[in-house]
Amino acid sequence: MSDLEDRKILEGIAAGDTAVIKTFYENNFNYIRSYILQNSGEEEDAEDVFQDALIVIYQKLKSDTLDINVSVLTYFYAICKNKWRTRLRKKRKLIIDNEVVVINEEVEASIAEEIENNEREDVYRRYFLTLSGTCREVLNLVFAGKNMKEIAGITGYSEGYTRKKKFECKKTLLEKIEKDPMYQELKLTSEKQ
Amino acid sequence: MERTQELFEKIEGYLAKTLSKEELLAFEKEMETNSELIHEVEKQRELHHVLSDTDTLNFKEKLQKISAEVKQERSVSNTKISQFSYWKIVASIIVILGIGTLLWNNINKTDDFSELYAFYYEPYPLEDVTRGDTANELSEIMKNYTQGNYEKVISELTKTTSLVASEQFTLYLGNSYLNIGKEQEALLQFKKISDTSKYYEDAIWYSALTYLKLGEIKKSSELLTVIIQYDGIYKEKAVQLMEKFKEL
Repeated sequence: MSDLEDRKILEGIAAGDTAVIKTFYENNFNYIRSYILQNSGEEEDAEDVFQDALIVIYQKLKSDTLDINVSVLTYFYAICKNKWRTRLRKKRKLIIDNEVVVINEEVEASIAEEIENNEREDVYRRYFLTLSGTCREVLNLVFAGKNMKEIAGITGYSEGYTRKKKFECKKTLLEKIEKDPMYQELKLTSEKQ
Repeated sequence: MERTQELFEKIEGYLAKTLSKEELLAFEKEMETNSELIHEVEKQRELHHVLSDTDTLNFKEKLQKISAEVKQERSVSNTKISQFSYWKIVASIIVILGIGTLLWNNINKTDDFSELYAFYYEPYPLEDVTRGDTANELSEIMKNYTQGNYEKVISELTKTTSLVASEQFTLYLGNSYLNIGKEQEALLQFKKISDTSKYYEDAIWYSALTYLKLGEIKKSSELLTVIIQYDGIYKEKAVQLMEKFKEL
């Protein structure tokens, strides 16, 4: 893939360009999907890994810390594979890698540590997006640093209702996150460190 | 620790630094003796930190939508492909029966390159390819490919450069050239596929067959050796072909 195409992909990801991201998804998802299915994963795992790997690139582009000397695809595949290996390791499952094409090992090693760190963030985001519209609206405003009065003014709910809703939504979110086996494993690992 | 509205509000006040001096002192004192509270505070601190990044959150949501769209389009396309596949299987059986008979009749007579080529060559099969915005164009190309209208496939694919950027289509294009006797052009296409691609083995296999068709057995053998070392899906065929070469 040419540098020009790589640049187009990166610009599209940074700008959240749906068409570019969709084409990237269509061209590459099957490959990652077969890799994960071949290595003890499910369809849902493949989607999560694929999306979370794109988030790694997105965040790096946003913070201007993306420094790669390989093609975007090589880098992206390495993130996906590393993410999946990390998750599998957490699940304490054996990885059977029948993949013949070996991705640049140096790239993989350099991103392995970062991946470990942002795994927990992925869990937070995944469950937040499963909350109801009201919960997401209220919590978004809470996380943006708005106080109860401001939130009540924006949403039109009473202050008392907003307060109660905020508590219930946050409690539900924390419970959902804590039930995720991956979160428990990640928590244990970080506590040991 | 029981999660109460009061506890959450204290933690939030602590994190937002809005507690009064007295409240803060009392809260910090409680944390000193309560490790569960420390955990809860840290958990909420992280939660606030991660989820306040709305750009990333919106990006994740967009990805989920795109994923759902792609999945839906893929399932529609799979239905179409399975119809194709039926005819592909029927066609393959006819071809295999035909060539098998041919080979049976000629096996002790001549075993030249073109026969070997005809026996081992099968057009690169259509894979599950979908692109929402180019769906019509694509199904037309796929139809022409399955029907053997290779000239049309070439003219369409070379016109649509974005499709040729996909390695899968590079294989279709190479196969199309091969089928209309433009072997050198076919080789150029196959060579475009890098050794890190998942289509690398396919590309090497079709290059080996192209050299066989051209009668360049040495080059073909070299590539077959690569395939054997690769130890993938074409290995068995490559081993057989190498054996046949020795008999020639």
